[in-house]
Amino acid sequence: MLRHIAGRLLNLIPMLLGITVVSFVIIQLSPGDFLAEMRLNPIVSQATVDQMRANFGLDQPLHIQYLRWLWNAARLEFGYSFAFQVPVTWLIGSRFLNSLLLGVISFTVAWLVAIPIGIYTARRQYTWVDNTVSLWAYVGISTPTFFSGLFLLYLAFKTGWFPIGGLTSIDYEFLPWWGKLLDKAHHLILPGVVLSILGVAGLMRQMRASLLEVLRQDYVRTARSKGLAERVVVNRHAVRNAINPLITIFGFGLGGLWGGAAILETVMGYPGIGKLLLDATIQKDLYVVMAALVIGSVTLVIGNLIADVMLVVSDPRIRYD
Amino acid sequence: MGRVFARLLMMVLAASVSVTPAATAQPKFTLQDVPNPMVVEAADVGRFGGTFVTASISDPRTFNVLVAQETSSTAPLANLFEGLVETNRSTTEVEPSLAESWTVSRDGRTWQFKLRKGVTWFDGKPLTADDVVFTLDAAFTEGVQSSLKDVLTIAGKRIGYRKIDAQTVEFKTEEPFGPFLRTIGFSIVPKHKLESALKAGAAEFNRTWGVNTNPREIIGNGPFMMHTYTPGQRILFVRNSKYWRVDKRGQRLPYLARQVIEIVPNQDAQRLKFMARETDSYGARPREFAELRAQQQAGNFTIFDGPPTFSTEFLVLNQNPAGVRAPKLTWFQNLRFRQAISHAIDRESIARQVYAGRATPQFSPVSPANKFFYNANTKKYNYDVATAERLLREAGFAKGTDGFLRDSAGNVVEFVISTNAENNDRVAIGNLVRQDLTKLGMRVTFAPEAFNTLVGKLTGSFQWEAIIIGLTGGLEPHTGQNVWKSAGSLHMWWPKQEKAATEWEAEIDRLYDQAATTIDQNKRKQLYNRWQEIIAEQVPMVFFTTVLTQPAFRNTLANFSPAPLAFFDVETIYYRTPYR
Repeated sequence: MLRHIAGRLLNLIPMLLGITVVSFVIIQLSPGDFLAEMRLNPIVSQATVDQMRANFGLDQPLHIQYLRWLWNAARLEFGYSFAFQVPVTWLIGSRFLNSLLLGVISFTVAWLVAIPIGIYTARRQYTWVDNTVSLWAYVGISTPTFFSGLFLLYLAFKTGWFPIGGLTSIDYEFLPWWGKLLDKAHHLILPGVVLSILGVAGLMRQMRASLLEVLRQDYVRTARSKGLAERVVVNRHAVRNAINPLITIFGFGLGGLWGGAAILETVMGYPGIGKLLLDATIQKDLYVVMAALVIGSVTLVIGNLIADVMLVVSDPRIRYD
Repeated sequence: MGRVFARLLMMVLAASVSVTPAATAQPKFTLQDVPNPMVVEAADVGRFGGTFVTASISDPRTFNVLVAQETSSTAPLANLFEGLVETNRSTTEVEPSLAESWTVSRDGRTWQFKLRKGVTWFDGKPLTADDVVFTLDAAFTEGVQSSLKDVLTIAGKRIGYRKIDAQTVEFKTEEPFGPFLRTIGFSIVPKHKLESALKAGAAEFNRTWGVNTNPREIIGNGPFMMHTYTPGQRILFVRNSKYWRVDKRGQRLPYLARQVIEIVPNQDAQRLKFMARETDSYGARPREFAELRAQQQAGNFTIFDGPPTFSTEFLVLNQNPAGVRAPKLTWFQNLRFRQAISHAIDRESIARQVYAGRATPQFSPVSPANKFFYNANTKKYNYDVATAERLLREAGFAKGTDGFLRDSAGNVVEFVISTNAENNDRVAIGNLVRQDLTKLGMRVTFAPEAFNTLVGKLTGSFQWEAIIIGLTGGLEPHTGQNVWKSAGSLHMWWPKQEKAATEWEAEIDRLYDQAATTIDQNKRKQLYNRWQEIIAEQVPMVFFTTVLTQPAFRNTLANFSPAPLAFFDVETIYYRTPYR
């Protein structure tokens, strides 16, 4: 087992190289660069724009730029953002925890809600409960986050029960420690609801489908005919088998926790990392995008690794060596 | 001997003409530390206290005012930094700020500014001429990303500057520089805080005072100090208790105790926050005007039928032989062709459909918001398809039996209009323009594309046919010289010409050069009037409309009023009632 884990982690290195080379080339080859906006500014002369290009190292040949970046990245120095002129690590760090917080909360809520509902609707297939829940699941999957976000903001405005976006209130600094916790929790409700609904809808359908397939198996019929209670049959035997595909999904979800939902963050003014990275990608703020890709790849691989380990624990049929 | 001496003395005296704004004989008020504080005129004497909350669409990118380019950075920093002069928001005249007076030599080439005594930075150190000299040294340092160096480089030569004494700075230009007063109002930074950063090199200086700096380290001398910055959330400012301006009763400004800029990336969310009274000002979009006007009572605010923006939006046809070939080049270079297009565009329709009627047709390169320089008497192009068709016939174009327009050689008139897809207004305008031009029989394709691609074409490859785009404007036409002079890199329809391609472009070059070296602002206005006439006549750019703004303010605020540049001065705005 440990050898397998070590092998997977070592695999990260060539994978990262591949991802970064491809991304670097694609970003650089696409039209324009970070200075596009500057070029359309009548006050800034051509000479100044060229100077800036030299400052950012964008006038060097591609492979030199890449190797220079790689050499620094290996020492965990991810360079400076073109837009902000601050270290990329500071920039990402300033919002990383916010996204992680929102991600973890929505993730947890989504899973805690989706699994029981999925099991419940599988057991009562085609009843009115099942059909209603399925309908709402489809609605949940289809609603774009910006719409639900705006809708909830409007609700917040009308009722006054929730804050209109953001993560903290204006007087956050002056609150006692427990006040700060409550304030953040209050602000997390709406964005959390939007993301959770999205998560619940999909997961619940997946759980239901998976469990239905298991419940059709012969060994389930055997268990029932042995006289076991339905509850035991489902919860102790069927679910454990049905949960396999979901563990894989769990791993992917873990990897994406920190990434943030850019559109939701824009709409609700949540100070997360999604919007930052989206803007960086659009503006071609090269080093921010590269750092984000590295972090994203690493977390994805680790998330999948955790899922695979959990699979080994959960399913005795799965062994890697 | 005596006569020679007397003549010399007369020459020296004649060489300096004192141009001191307002009476400086005896300061109206005196503060303990500032003998001659600046008096700020405002309608009321306000009450002290309160927190003013506004919203910004994006985070500041830097706290280094020399390097800052975009509004999200310059707006918060305007609370901390001041310049030698500033522009009055109502009269748009240049007024003293950090400098209390200035003189200009008779030949218009030498300026001397006297700094206001007693002005101190937030950390208590006094402002001196060293700070002014340092700011310019930094701006002109090779590698420092400041657009100030371009603004203060006149006809290829840097402006000359030196310290005369602790309170006096002198500037010298090769030729008299007409826009001088409007360009000398740049923000001054403290030498004692940034000197070591500049010594460490330009790259290091560009990164100094970035957004990762402790806000309390950002030392300025403006009405507010930065207290905290929470990335993605808000910036908090507190009052500068040593500010060197007073109100008309001699009380030290500002009235407000605190200011908060909330970062709200979505315009709809900004509106909701404004309606929920979390923020106290909101720049409404044109479509929202009617709706918000109906909600003024309920929301306790006033929305203004505000001034027009300084920006312009237009269609430009590529006349660059390196970009398009015959027959398209011949069409675009044909004056009547361009004039016909201008007549064929229904500007009223654009104003109604895109801006909910909150826009007026535009024909001059200068927006009417620029009251001093705007020339209202340029050629107008009313919506007249018959005149457009007549002009096309005169130019040798004819509509075939299939309804398509053809030139004298028989080629169907077809071309592609592009714009940046991210700008919804321009995309809407593009669709309307396409429909209008189809009425003339032209086969027009409208293809919006990504901003980066567009810029690459405009400034790099020149492989484009027609583009709908805009330019922000300002009070000083000279800042647009890169666009209007034939050698300019942003002379969109044919950039970087070695020699002016047409007589009218040569005339515009002459006008711009002359206006730059004329000090008399009225003479300059005449020159720029002529420039606007030429552009309206020759239509290298077909302007659409000027859009109106509609700012809204909470009624608990006072000392704000409609004005061309801004609706309030941050140091005199105040809350009528104890609030927050």
